[in-house]
Order: sequence, then C-alpha cells, then structure tokens
Amino acid sequence: MSLVTDARKRDLPSFSRELNVMAHVVDASDRDLRSVSTELRRSMARGPVVMRKVAHLHGLVAGIKSGEVAIEGDSGDYLGVLNDGATIHVTGNAGRYLADNMTRGMVIVEGNASYGAAPYCYGGTVVVKGNAGDFTAVMNKGATIIIGGNVGDDVATYMLAGEVVIVGNAGKNLGNYLIRGNIYIGGEWANLGHNTRLEPMTEADQAKLRGYFDEYGIEADPETFQKIGRLSEKPFYKAKAPVQPEAR
Amino acid sequence: MPPVNGTFCVTVMKDQCINARMPGKCATCVEVCPYDVYAIDQAGKVHVQNYNACVGCRICAEFCPEDAIRINPAESEFLVRAPWTFPQVEEIHYKAQTGEYMLRGFGAMGFAPTFDQITVVPSQLASPAPRDKYREECNLEVVIGEDTCENPIRLRYPLFFAAMSFGAVSREARMALAIGAALTGIMSNTGEGGLLKDETWLIKGYENEERTLRRWEPGGYLVVQWSTGRWGVSADYVRAGDAVEIKIGQGAKPGMGGHLLGAKVTAEIAAVRGVPVGSDALSPCRYYDVQDLEDMKRMVAFLRDVTNYRVPIFFKLGPSRPYEDVRACIEAGADAISIDGLVGGTGASPAIVTQGVGIPTLALIPPAVRALKEMGVHHKVKLFILGGIRNGLDAYKAIAMGADAVGFGAAAEIAMGCRACMACHTGRCAYGITSQDPELRARLNPEEAGQRLANFIKATAEEIKILAMLSGHDDIRNLSEEDLRAMDLNTAAISGLKLIGYERRLPWWEDEREKQPHPA
Repeated sequence: MSLVTDARKRDLPSFSRELNVMAHVVDASDRDLRSVSTELRRSMARGPVVMRKVAHLHGLVAGIKSGEVAIEGDSGDYLGVLNDGATIHVTGNAGRYLADNMTRGMVIVEGNASYGAAPYCYGGTVVVKGNAGDFTAVMNKGATIIIGGNVGDDVATYMLAGEVVIVGNAGKNLGNYLIRGNIYIGGEWANLGHNTRLEPMTEADQAKLRGYFDEYGIEADPETFQKIGRLSEKPFYKAKAPVQPEAR
Repeated sequence: MPPVNGTFCVTVMKDQCINARMPGKCATCVEVCPYDVYAIDQAGKVHVQNYNACVGCRICAEFCPEDAIRINPAESEFLVRAPWTFPQVEEIHYKAQTGEYMLRGFGAMGFAPTFDQITVVPSQLASPAPRDKYREECNLEVVIGEDTCENPIRLRYPLFFAAMSFGAVSREARMALAIGAALTGIMSNTGEGGLLKDETWLIKGYENEERTLRRWEPGGYLVVQWSTGRWGVSADYVRAGDAVEIKIGQGAKPGMGGHLLGAKVTAEIAAVRGVPVGSDALSPCRYYDVQDLEDMKRMVAFLRDVTNYRVPIFFKLGPSRPYEDVRACIEAGADAISIDGLVGGTGASPAIVTQGVGIPTLALIPPAVRALKEMGVHHKVKLFILGGIRNGLDAYKAIAMGADAVGFGAAAEIAMGCRACMACHTGRCAYGITSQDPELRARLNPEEAGQRLANFIKATAEEIKILAMLSGHDDIRNLSEEDLRAMDLNTAAISGLKLIGYERRLPWWEDEREKQPHPA
C-alpha cells in the first residue's frame, strides 16, 4: 500500500503556503517541552504557527482551544493530546497516541501515525493519510477518524460512539466489543472482534465517505467499502434497566 | 436478587408495632426499606415478605417510630458448619443457578493484619516532654507540590476524602464530599465518574456558580482523576482540578478497571460517561496510551503542560508490589503517591477480587517508605495511604510509619450515614449515598451530610493531635517509627516496628536499617 494516497492531495492549510511569511515559526531543536509549549501557546493565540524539528518532544500542542499549527517533518508521541479546537497539520509522520483524548478540533497527518492513534477521543476529526498502528481509535467516543492506509490489530476496540474509516486493510480483532458507532473499511481484515457484525452500506454512507475523501484528498472508491456495526448495545455481564423516575 | 453479605433475622415486636395493633396506621418500614423486605396488604397489615432480601442496613429499625424492629445476624447457628456457612451455601446456589460470579460493593471483610496490633508510645522521661493538647499548638498541615508547581496544595489536616466516582455514588454524595472538604480545608477526589460542575464551586465554599455567595470556610481542594476509562475527560476537566491524579489501580479491584453496573447507569450518568443507558460501564484495566515507564513520564509531563505547570500531579496505586510501583511513580515525576490497601472499598467489584486480591494496608507502608527514602524523596514526594482507615488512631499510626496523609473512603461514607451493608452494587442504597434512584437520593441532604463529614474530619484531626502531643510532638512531620511499637510477632515482622518487650526490631529489619542511607 502506498504511503500517501495523493492523486488529489489536499493543499496544506492556506496559512502555511500563502502566509508563510506571516506565520510565526518555532524551531524546537534542542529545546524542552516547557519552553516550546509556552512559546507555542502565546503564538497560537495571535495567529498561525509553523513548527520544525519537534520529533523529540512529546505531548505537544496539548489542550489548545483554537488556532492553527503546521508541523514540518515528523512529530513525537501524544501530539495534540486533549486537543480542544485547534487545527494541527503534520507533513511527516506522527508518533504514537496521536490526538489522545481529543474533544474538538482537527488533526491531519500526511504520513503515517503509529501505535494507539486517536485513542479515547470524544469529538473532532483525525485524518491520517498513511498507515496507523495497533489499537488505533481505541475507546473512540465520538470522533471521526479516517486512515488512508492500513491499520494494525485491535482497532476501534470498545468504541462507544463516532466513526472510523479505514481505506486499507485491518488486522485482528477489528472493532472488539464495539458498543456504538460504525467502522467503514475499504480493504480486508484478519478477523472481526466480539460483538460486531457486517451491516449493509447505504447511499447515505457512500455519500458521506465520498464527502470525506473529496475533502481530504484521499483516493478511494466508497462503493468498495464495507460497514461494521455492533451486535448488541449491552454485550457485557447482565445489564439491568436503571431505575427511572417515571417507573415508580 | 443475588445474596448479599450475611443473613439477618428481622424481628418485629408486635406489642410495640403500631401496625400490628392498628393496621393501616403506620407503614414506615415498608416506605423506608429499598429491598422490599416488608410488604403491606389490602387490609393495611404490614408483614415481612422476604427476610432473605434484608441486607442488614437497619434503616427500618432506625425509622420505626416505636423502636419495634430488631435486625440481628442469623449466622451463628451455621458457623459450626464452616466452611459451609449459610452465606457460602447461598453463593454456590447463586452460581449454580445463574452461571455468574458474585459482585458486591464496599471492601474486604474480616481482615488481618490491621493497625490494631500496634501501640503508640507516649512521652515520659526518656524523650522530649509531652505537649499540652489544651493549651499548646500542633502543626497538622501538609503541603503538596511546593517545589514543582505554582499552586501547591496546603491541606489543613493530614487527611482527605478518597476517590468515589459519580455513578458509584449519587450526585448528593459528591456534593456533600465537596462541602465537607470545603469546611475542613482538605481534598475531595472526583474518581473515575467525571466532574459535576457544582463540585468546582462547592469545593471552594461557594453556593453558586458565580461564586458570589460564600457559605463554607476555609475552602478545600478538588483532585480530578485521570483513569483508564477517561469518562468525561477533556482539557477543561483536567484544568478544573487543584491536582490531577493518574489512577493506576485501587484497593478493591487492583488490576481491573472500574465497574459501574447497568442498574446505576441512568441517563445523566450515561451522558457523562458516554455509555448506553442501562449498560454496564466497564473501564479497561490498563492504559491504552501507556506502554512503559517512559510513556508514563511523558504523560506526567503533558499533564503538567496542559495545566500550565500550576498544579501537583498525583499517582494512585492499588496494592501490588509497593516498592517497585512507588519507585516507578517517583521516576515518572509524581508529586504525591497514593496507595490503597486490600480493605479499600468500591461501588461494585467481583467478590473474590475484593476479598482475595491485594495487600493489607499496613503492609504497604514499609516498602513504599523504603522506596521513597532510597530515592531521597521521602516527605518531598508525598505518600498517601488509604484502605480501611477508621479513625485518628489508625491515621496516626500510618503517619508515624512514614505516610504524609491518610484517606477516608468507607469511613467518609459511614460519616454521611452509610451502615456498611455492602449492597452498594445494587443501587438500592437506603441512605441515598450509592444509589441513582431519585427517591433514595432524596434521603441524602448534601449540606447536612457535608457538615457530618466535616465533623468527622475535625474529630479525627483532634485524635491525631492528642496522640502527637502526648508523644512529645508539636508537628506531625516529626513523627517516626520510634513513636510506635508492634504488639505481636506477626506485626513486628511485617511492619519493621520495634517489638514490645524486646524493644528492638526483629533481626532482618535491623540488617535493613544498617544498609539504608541515613536520612538527610
């Protein structure tokens, strides 16, 4: 599978092309997280930021509510952790645990992501044009996670809401104990996890995928995709109805 | 309903019972009992319909206007059949019928060793003179994170409330804990259940969101917990706390994730946690975004970054290998480390895990202190001990053994009104503490319960003060193991305290002391 599906590659956000001269540039070589992060937060409040040489820093762009940052090259682990509204664009590869526990915002990676990409996310969108690793989208609680390449094992384990789109292949245990939400997959998978089943793709599903692929410049045909959903909403040990006020 | 802990004889004394004498005139027991032990028939007569459902909470006996009810444990006649006691028989019947294991709330029952076989050494001639509790001062304050963050926590007493999640406990209980902490200047902890907005201003002593109506002084601290389920976690959540606690485990179910049974997942809780209404919310048992100690260090680093380096970062551990676990937390960069012992309780856990897994609280302290001392951070990185701590005497002993502060979970609930019937997992708590049923929750008044919590903390702090001062101390930071003696061989072997009579540590502890570096 090619690293980056890019017949129609989305332009880098306008700021880093046209406004490069106006974007604040942060070079993180030989600097520690605290100093880079302090400068980043100050600058992002004033305008778009371009960052370089950040691969040695982990937990960058954490918990930021607005603004845009483009990272030239690779990033470290935990990029965009607790992201709450910022737009983050990575031109190279991202480290592990990309966009951990994100609640709002947008993260786009041109290259690959790694183990545990987009875990625990409540909302927002994560787009990885390349591949992602095992445990991608674990405990997804409402985000839209789109992977343009292949993914590893245990993807979308215990997903509680949201959607995961995989253009390539997946490994073992796909969607293990999926509770709600859907997985759309264009390639093959080794095996499905517990509590999953194949659901028919609808016109609306295909239109939605087409919209995503157009917007993010991903080369894929929605008509070849399959949809995975849950078997039961309450798959665990005996669920009893809660006591609701009306019932008394 | 699956059997709960213990079987009870429900005795109603007909001479006193109003309903027995005048049917239809009183049905208090029917109204207060959430387990349908009592029923009232067409003629208005109350009778015990199912004494097997009684969990021994005694709310009927408490509320009976004529004090006509007696609830007594019914096991004595079966004890001779041990191990095939009545509860054991019931448990096997349950499994045979359903194919499921037993779950229950609260902590381990009937455990040794406890702190009871340790005694406090008062001051006489051979040590600094005792202090006068009535006329002199004793410093009880604990400061956390003063070297690492902008807003360190200053606890007024070396005490705090353990983490009890919204979901496991009711909204009213969470509010009461916040008020209790605000009244005493100590910490409350969100646990895994997410944050109720009210807690953020109640904890600071304000009645309203605008923070204009100040009701409770001096104001306390709210610790937000970061755990395996990440229920309700966001940047705002993390920033809402006066400290962030990374939860690795807890005493009641170490190695397992939090368990919130479907019966307690109401619409409100489902919304906070993101699970379907009525479905079990089972937290994973481990972090999917941490694979090794390096990742843990990075996690501490980004949590500091997200909170702008303002607040302390804690770890919470379940009882496993305390020496190694505490070392790992210190290396990861903790400001404080909590260890919860075997007896620590919970809202729901498999019974075998609550009873059978973990290390008793007492035995966790020496290895944890050793790890802190070897890394040169004892009392700089704070050690918090929890798990079955009952009063100021237990707390004093834990502190003298090397802890910096002591937490109350079960004891705090009991202060709010709990009777330790251990049926928390059913969601039918008769006192509205661990229930989500609106009718049961209405029984808990947050302000009143908050005041009770504050009373309990103050009484406990006074107890600690008494013990410290009669031992010659005016500052709890000066307490040491020399202030305690073990009263039996077992406790001396486990705790490393000097044995009474022998007046020395057991031989293998003596060797340990020689190897250790002298404290700075």
